[in-house]
Amino acid sequence: MGAFNRGVASWLGRLPTVWVEGEVTELRRQARWASVFFTLKDPADGACLSISMPRGQFDALRLDVADGDRVHVYGRPELYEARGEFRLRALSLERFGLGDHLASLERLKSKLAAEGLFAAERKRPLPLLPRRIGLVTGNDAAAKRDVLTAIQARFPPASVLVAETYVQGPRAAGAVIETLGALCREDDVDVIVVARGGGSFEDLLPFSDERLVRAIAACPVPVVTAVGHEQDTPLCDLAADARASTPSVAGRLVVPDLAELLQRLDRARAGLERGTRRALERERHRLERAHERLGRAPRLLVERGRARLEHAAGRLRALSPKATLARGYAIVRAGDEIVRSGGDVEPGERVDVELAEGGFGAKVEETRSVGSTELPRSGGAGSAGAGSGKG
Amino acid sequence: MTFEEAQRELEAIVHRLESGEAPLDEALKLWQRGEELYRLCRERLDAAEGKIEELAGRAEAAKP
Repeated sequence: MGAFNRGVASWLGRLPTVWVEGEVTELRRQARWASVFFTLKDPADGACLSISMPRGQFDALRLDVADGDRVHVYGRPELYEARGEFRLRALSLERFGLGDHLASLERLKSKLAAEGLFAAERKRPLPLLPRRIGLVTGNDAAAKRDVLTAIQARFPPASVLVAETYVQGPRAAGAVIETLGALCREDDVDVIVVARGGGSFEDLLPFSDERLVRAIAACPVPVVTAVGHEQDTPLCDLAADARASTPSVAGRLVVPDLAELLQRLDRARAGLERGTRRALERERHRLERAHERLGRAPRLLVERGRARLEHAAGRLRALSPKATLARGYAIVRAGDEIVRSGGDVEPGERVDVELAEGGFGAKVEETRSVGSTELPRSGGAGSAGAGSGKG
Repeated sequence: MTFEEAQRELEAIVHRLESGEAPLDEALKLWQRGEELYRLCRERLDAAEGKIEELAGRAEAAKP
């Protein structure tokens, strides 16, 4: 029995790998099972085939396959020896028609890129401090909560206008476009976040819808998208002004860090005060210097004037008759008149003689003519001195 | 008259006096004018300092 099964298994093992197509039914999975099981049914004639696929591999595809889905399975036929059951061991799996979808997406992407819709110069900077933030999201709690939590953490007073809409299914693209428009019509909405959690390829397809991509590019308010996971790049991401890998990242993108902002503001204010004080000190210093110099020049001028005056006075004094008297000359006065000539006096007239120190009275004994140039022998002005004893 | 105008005039006066070109009469008049300007500038600076202290105090009080 065992040998028979082993033989059949070994014989089946020599069959080549194959692609089969059908509809998924009876999808069964359990946490303790290493594989996922389902039955592939041919919708035309009802023929069935058991399929097994390692669970890790199945989950990695993230196809969200459910009963009723049309799929292509690539696999190797095998016999489950313990029970003698024939089945196909799936090596890969893809949704029916996925190739067509991908090809049309590629075509759309090239077309929009050629129009310049994804150009870097079209991207607008996000506002530093949005008055209000529009959030387009599904009622899918995780994406909405992640955006709101991230915003709250960085900027608690932020005002977020949440607009829930369909983010999955055939109505999603139109619904998101409509919601975008409605948010733009609200007052003070300075930035809009479009957030949607991860999902299958089909789930995210509305976010590559041409109408939605164009609506995001044309949105009058900057748009940040956070759709699906890091590796998904729906076309709306390319048209958005900023693309976030996750809803949390989108939340951090649209608001500044309040604590950091306050710190910067504080530093700026301190700088303001320091700068103003420094300017004041500089002006004060400059004023005091000017003031110091202000009085110096006039004082100097007065001193210089005084010095010149003293000098002039000195010379004046040097020129006065006193100095001449000191050299031995005398002034002879008759009455109030100074005697300058022998003819000014008569013999016997009383004259007054002034010397450098003191003086005396005298009587004229004789006079000489004006023209005489002889030095007096015993008389004349000099002889007046001879009679000093009589004064 | 603004502080800057007063300051400029004061410094022009100092410059004129220091050039030694002003005769004594003019120098005395300039000095007097300079003292007036100095007083005006001082008053403005003192007022500015008062304002700084007031603003600094208000900013300090507004801190959370």
